[in-house]
Amino acid sequence: MNRKPTKRMELRSLIAFGIFCAFLLCLVGNLFWLQIINGEEYRLKAEKNQLSDTVVNANRGTIYDSNMKVLAQSASAWLVYINPSKIKTDEQKTLLVDGFVEIFDLDPETVTKKVNRSESGYEKIIGQIDNAQKDALKEYLSKHKDQKLNTIVGIDPDTKRYYPLGSFASTVLGFTGSEDTGRSGLELKYNDILTGEAGRIITAKNALSGEMPNDYETTYDAEQGKSLVLTIDEVIQYYLEQQLSQAIEETQAKYAYGIVMDVKTGAILGMSTMPDYDLNSPYKIYSNSVLEEISKIEDSAQKSQAESNALFSQWRNRVVSDSYEPGSVFKLFVAAAGLEEGAITTTSTYNCTSSIKVANYYQHCYNHKAHGTQTVAEALPNSCNTFFITLGQKLGKYTFNKYFEAFGFTEKTGVDLPSEAAPAPNKTYYTVDRMGIAELSSASFGQTFQATPIQMITAVASLGNGGKLMTPYIVDKVLDEDGNIVSETEPKVKRQVISEKTADIMCDLMEQVVVWGTAKNAYVAGYHVAGKTGTSEKLNTDDQCIASFAGFAPANDPQIAVLIAVDEPQYYATGGSGAAPVAGRIFENILAYLNIDPQYSDKEMAQATVTAPNLVGVESAKVRSKASGFTVKVVGSGETVVSQMPSANQSMPKNGVIVVYTEENAEKQTATVPNLIGLTLADANRLAVNSGFNIKIAGTTQGAGQVLSYKQSIPAETTAESGAIITVYFRSSENVTD
Amino acid sequence: MATKKKKSPLSFLFNKGAMDVPFFIILMTIVTIGLIMLFSASYTYSYYFRTSSTELFTKQLIYCGIGILGMLLVSRIRYEYFKVFSFVVAGVSVILLIIVRLLPDSVQPGFYRWIDLGFITFQPSEIAKLGLIMFLAFCLEQHHKGVVGKVPSDLGVCRFVENASNGKYVIYKSFTSTIAYGFFILLFAVLVLIENHVSGAVLMLAIGVIMLFLGEVKNKWFIVGVVVAVFAVILFVMNPDLLKEYAGERIVAWLDKDYEPLGARWQTNNSLYAIGSGGFLGTGLGQSKQKHLYVSEPQNDFIFSIVCEELGFVGATAIILLFALLVYRGIKIGLRAKDRYGALLAMGIVFQVGVQVALNIAVVSDFIPNTGISLPFFSYGGTSLVILLCEMGIILSISRSARKKD
Repeated sequence: MNRKPTKRMELRSLIAFGIFCAFLLCLVGNLFWLQIINGEEYRLKAEKNQLSDTVVNANRGTIYDSNMKVLAQSASAWLVYINPSKIKTDEQKTLLVDGFVEIFDLDPETVTKKVNRSESGYEKIIGQIDNAQKDALKEYLSKHKDQKLNTIVGIDPDTKRYYPLGSFASTVLGFTGSEDTGRSGLELKYNDILTGEAGRIITAKNALSGEMPNDYETTYDAEQGKSLVLTIDEVIQYYLEQQLSQAIEETQAKYAYGIVMDVKTGAILGMSTMPDYDLNSPYKIYSNSVLEEISKIEDSAQKSQAESNALFSQWRNRVVSDSYEPGSVFKLFVAAAGLEEGAITTTSTYNCTSSIKVANYYQHCYNHKAHGTQTVAEALPNSCNTFFITLGQKLGKYTFNKYFEAFGFTEKTGVDLPSEAAPAPNKTYYTVDRMGIAELSSASFGQTFQATPIQMITAVASLGNGGKLMTPYIVDKVLDEDGNIVSETEPKVKRQVISEKTADIMCDLMEQVVVWGTAKNAYVAGYHVAGKTGTSEKLNTDDQCIASFAGFAPANDPQIAVLIAVDEPQYYATGGSGAAPVAGRIFENILAYLNIDPQYSDKEMAQATVTAPNLVGVESAKVRSKASGFTVKVVGSGETVVSQMPSANQSMPKNGVIVVYTEENAEKQTATVPNLIGLTLADANRLAVNSGFNIKIAGTTQGAGQVLSYKQSIPAETTAESGAIITVYFRSSENVTD
Repeated sequence: MATKKKKSPLSFLFNKGAMDVPFFIILMTIVTIGLIMLFSASYTYSYYFRTSSTELFTKQLIYCGIGILGMLLVSRIRYEYFKVFSFVVAGVSVILLIIVRLLPDSVQPGFYRWIDLGFITFQPSEIAKLGLIMFLAFCLEQHHKGVVGKVPSDLGVCRFVENASNGKYVIYKSFTSTIAYGFFILLFAVLVLIENHVSGAVLMLAIGVIMLFLGEVKNKWFIVGVVVAVFAVILFVMNPDLLKEYAGERIVAWLDKDYEPLGARWQTNNSLYAIGSGGFLGTGLGQSKQKHLYVSEPQNDFIFSIVCEELGFVGATAIILLFALLVYRGIKIGLRAKDRYGALLAMGIVFQVGVQVALNIAVVSDFIPNTGISLPFFSYGGTSLVILLCEMGIILSISRSARKKD
């Protein structure tokens, strides 16, 4: 029997081997597809699995005011996340949802959604939680240790932004949203600088989330956020906000906004839009009237839309983002252009008959008043419309527009704040080719175009600094984490708009406006305030106006520019009655704070001295209100005042000290007399009042140079009765030798 | 100088012919690479779940040594002696398959594949594969004429049909014996299937069909077989519900690549990540990242994905080529065997290895649905390796008594 393998078997074995090889070839082809063609894709997927990528958050920088007072700061907090792919059982899911809802007061639906994303490796549950909440979570996790929740839940360091002063400068500073990113204001504008760059540590991990023994570890260091030092001065900002709030209270205006600027540099010392909001809880609507309106809306979609609108309105920095018709304040620039171009001189006159016919219409002065023959030095204080219409026409639209542009009304100021309103040709102002005689005439007294408050104050400041239009700025310095200066803002001159000479004339003219003109409510004795008021109708709102004041002080050496606008005052208010007094109070506070000494005229000096009120017999409780303006020191616990120092009707400084005694035979209060020699008037006064004394000014306080004290009636270092009047003698150090 | 060696008393048992050296070299190359890759693939798993990171490798190394010794011993034995035991091995296989089904599912709940002897566990199906091959090789040699030629069957029923139809319908031996072989193949497959071991059953069928093909069963049977197989595959792919729950789900997971990434497809996806990560040249030996517990039990069925990751497309293709060469050389040995039994046995064993390799790689690379087939000489498993190596010994033994060129 031939048992040899047959030919057929050989053939069949080759066929079988052929099929086998064909199959192997398919497999090799498949491997080629997987490894060569799609290898990269799989490799990335594998890496995503294998690498544990830990983010090391950079600390957000701090925001300081110019005195290094903290305005915004990040504090450490915690962030909770889960790895839903590690969830094995429904019981774990339920525990997680219950726990998060209970501890963090979250919406159960949202949490459930996150927990159910089983293919996801990372779902953030909540950020910016404090230690107490973190501890509560940890306790919850350890309570359910048997469910191994801690393999699912992770807690990472996070930061939370705090604004120690609450609503302070809120529309300027802005706030941060989730993920620690700026949402508005400086927080938004300087987000990149403040944020820094988060670092990462990338390590390999195995499927049990343990470390994979591998040299693959890459660390990217976190670059800490940088800090900002603002030009904003906490004290100035405080005065500004206080006065604006008061203005709203007095006039029931919808908004009031103001800017305080360093005339010489363009640095913004204060900026505010009132009403404001608390930066620590920006999502709350603070206006009661708005809340009331919203509560009336029934449709839920409309309601949430209204809520969102209200919030955006609340956060809006109107000083930069809104524009308004500047009205008569703009006459300053027409006057400056007229003087610069020689269209008028300080002596040229014009006769105002209360109205002027412009293209078939009559344009009137305010209240149809006829101002008669006047120079620019009278027309400006009178805010005479016809004068400026005539002047505008005389300049012609080309020259008018040249100055309109030169003073910066056709461009953004470039202030380092977000969402500055951009002037739009033929929308917010007329271009030359669209401007007719009627538009030119109206524009000459500040109507038919719009400007932002920041544009206005920048232009006004140029009148006070010798004609230089500055670029306003609010961030003075950028500091690194160790406090080293990374960059410092240099004041930037945009252009010379008018000559220094014209600017000086403007200062004088503007001071006249405050001394006797429409802005007299901004007058502060000794501080030579210069300015201009404006009251403009709002074109888009019926019967509403914006009352504004813009000016600077002291007129002989301008330091501080102030713009105040009261938007839609409900009680009758004009620039002169509504805005100028606010500005006056701000000037008074700020200039004193900045140690800019008042320079009183003799007349002012007389006004600065008053007679002491008679407080004897007044009830102790009422003595302070009876003697408002004075610093009153009550000694003893009697019910009525029995004696006072200085005594009634004695002449004493306006803001001096009065010591009142409520008990008979009470021991007289005494204090050590300070050395008042070699001081300016303001310093001497401050020091005396702080020590419990009054000064009586003797000698001259007028003069261009320094006026210093050289003698005092009660010698220094002696003891004297509190409230006593010390005569201090002053003399000027300049122009006294010849 | 031919000096006659002293004859051993057992010399009748031994074969002094030279073994096939190429086959041996290819085999040892595969075994060596397999051991190295097992070491690389198993050390993380071993580190985390065993006493030391080399525990699994050490065990495998010892079994490999035993296996090679066994192989060399077996290769010395004249394979005619195995022939005698063909029915015995087949019978023992069937008994073991029945016993294993009756034992408790102690190794893995729901699965009845292992017999635990305390010091070793082994899968009776490993022996059953050899049993089936030996059984069919024996039968196909013995009944060669009947299978190939036109010999009427002498079964009573067949005679009756022939007589009743006046010789119009003749039932030949080729028909009856093929039916009989089919029955036995199905018996083995079903016994493995009820262990809850679908891949083992498929393997059993594949081995059976290849044996019948090599044993020269008539072509028409294979045409019918292919048609039936194609229909069956289409049916089950279209309706995975018809299969038992876990098998059906694996088909669903194969069809839908986004199906339960953390459940049914976790293993396959991570295997693909590993394969893809390898790229052309691989990450380098020992450099696999996916073996860090992403590929579950990387030392077992999915070891080839780690091979792909570390050795790249080049390495993987080289290993596939080595296996192809092994099969080719095995066929050569078979065709040079001195009888058909030897030929069928050698080719059956070598194809068993080949099919298992092909199916394993197909599973690992998501070419077919996931099913538990280990990669011969690579996957961890001591008894399996010893049995495999002994089977290789049989092939070597056959090679020793090859015909001289005729």
